[in-house]
Amino acid sequence: MIVRNPQSSFTFIFTILFGSALPWINAALAQDMALSDVLIVDEGWAVVAEGYGFTDGAATDADGNFYFADVSKGDTINKVAVDGTISVFAKNAIRISGMQFGPDGRMYACQGGKPGNIVAFEKNGEMKVIAGDVEPNDLVVTAKGGIYFTETGKAQVTYVGPGQPPVKAGTGPAKPNGIALSLDQETLAVSDYGGDYVWTWRIGNVGKLEFSEPYMTLRLPTQASAPGQPSSPAQPSKGDGMATDVAGRFYVTSGVGLQMFDPTGRLCGVILSPQAKPLVSVEFSGPQLSYVYVCCGDKIYRRKTKTHGMLYFKEP
Amino acid sequence: MLRGNLIYNISHTYLSPQLGNPLMQIRMPLHGFLAAASLVLALACTSQAQKPSADSYPLGPDSLKQDGVPTGKVTKYQWNSSKIFEGTQRDYWVYVPNQYDGSEPACVMVFQDGQGYVSEDGHSRVPTVFDNLIHQQAMPVTIGIFINPGVFPSLNDKKPRSNRSFEYDSLGDTYARFLLEEMLPEVGKQYKLTDKAEGRAIAGISSGGICAFTVAWERPDAFSKVVSYVGSFTNIRGGHVYHALIRKTEKKPIRVFLQDGENDLDNLHGNWPLANREMAAALKFSGYDYRFEMGTEGHNAKHGAAILPEMLRWTWRDYPGVKAATAKGAQ
Repeated sequence: MIVRNPQSSFTFIFTILFGSALPWINAALAQDMALSDVLIVDEGWAVVAEGYGFTDGAATDADGNFYFADVSKGDTINKVAVDGTISVFAKNAIRISGMQFGPDGRMYACQGGKPGNIVAFEKNGEMKVIAGDVEPNDLVVTAKGGIYFTETGKAQVTYVGPGQPPVKAGTGPAKPNGIALSLDQETLAVSDYGGDYVWTWRIGNVGKLEFSEPYMTLRLPTQASAPGQPSSPAQPSKGDGMATDVAGRFYVTSGVGLQMFDPTGRLCGVILSPQAKPLVSVEFSGPQLSYVYVCCGDKIYRRKTKTHGMLYFKEP
Repeated sequence: MLRGNLIYNISHTYLSPQLGNPLMQIRMPLHGFLAAASLVLALACTSQAQKPSADSYPLGPDSLKQDGVPTGKVTKYQWNSSKIFEGTQRDYWVYVPNQYDGSEPACVMVFQDGQGYVSEDGHSRVPTVFDNLIHQQAMPVTIGIFINPGVFPSLNDKKPRSNRSFEYDSLGDTYARFLLEEMLPEVGKQYKLTDKAEGRAIAGISSGGICAFTVAWERPDAFSKVVSYVGSFTNIRGGHVYHALIRKTEKKPIRVFLQDGENDLDNLHGNWPLANREMAAALKFSGYDYRFEMGTEGHNAKHGAAILPEMLRWTWRDYPGVKAATAKGAQ
């Protein structure tokens, strides 16, 4: 499915920038990745689906079918087939925010509420509770079947190993929200909706998160108090849903747009939001996973890119 | 507890980040496709004529071993117990000059991307330069600490994740604290190091260059001397603001030597030659003790390495015990 080898693109960019091979720099230092490495001139956002309340939970399967939910008023998980046809993937799915397929082919999802659940949808649409009494917002499922999810209200990242109860795995972000894995699935990244950073941890043994760092600095909204008006409070990043591409770049939805970071956590640039509504979830899907899809208010948008998405449920 | 092994035990596969800059070489042909063939040739010829040859900046005698000059000792260590960059592992090297006898505290100079600086056949060959300049009394008895950036090792035999950009490009005092709370105390267990800012210098290349400035900017009470090769005073992680901060902040007691090249990088993070010019202009505006050398090289260590002896002479020129008369060097 994925037509480009990430290593070869690294090597290419690396060679362009630095010339000779430098074994120790590996991917980490090699890339100066501009937005132009990803965006295509004259390929802007196009509406994929509309007429919803608050779209969220962007997910994909390996074939490039895209999935989303309407967290505010929907009770279905919706599927946008590669040909653009929209259908219902699962019914009786209320308050679904983040979701991702697991290596077992089931769709795992965060179901809001106090308490909420981590649930899984079988291929026939039947829903099972994987973990109850949690407050999940967004999740990733690793290739080994481990589930990391953000509990925004509890300011923690929680882990559910296969067949295991949920355990507190990491802290740092004030409002942990979006969540992603690095290309090698050695590092977990979590955006802070209420702060300035995307945090990272090394994934240790048995799912343990260790060595947290405020690794990526998010661009914040420009703020200015207006004459004669009350002081304008500081605005957080509103860092939200995340995705990873085959070059190891991280994508983070935020208050100023879709922010792109290189694998070493350096901001590459900000892709403008398709409309002035909350931009909350992102996923690569469509043919060859080469389109970036976003959930933005009432609509789903996508645009073609020069890159391809990474599937967390596949072994890196 | 220092666990040393032998002098110059350096893996040759682990080079410093400095390489030739082929940007200019590829740029002309790319532009050329847009122009007539004759223009391509003309541009290419112009470019070739202006481009310095690879040996425009050869190492001088102060960077080469000289007969009769006592040589210091370089020992390699690892620092795997950082609390500030928890979970990272890194190699570092300590150079102790022959003249150090422990009777009084030595000066200290820290190098980012230490391996490239300490290597006997690396770009700058700092131990040899130190041997020569200390022998000439052009710089004080100085212990060199050459630190690699940290990595997070993989638990699954994959590549480690480099922490270099986070450590070097981030603004703030974290890296300064790493040096002051971890590395200097560790090296200080074995050697008597000065705790005076006047006796402490810090140097680096590229992101290591802005890191050197950041350390002194944040902690001028601890580090007073900065040497930067092709410093990344660009917007990798916000460092493009320094020139503006320098102009609107009361002067800090730090001394800065900047080197850059006309063919340095121009990319999404910024334009290195412009950024270094901005830094130099701001340092001048605010009355700093600074020097700026703009050469013709790209994003590499060639020019910086060639003038390192001069950078060190200038940096240490008025330190107690340094002989001004030797400031011209062994030419």
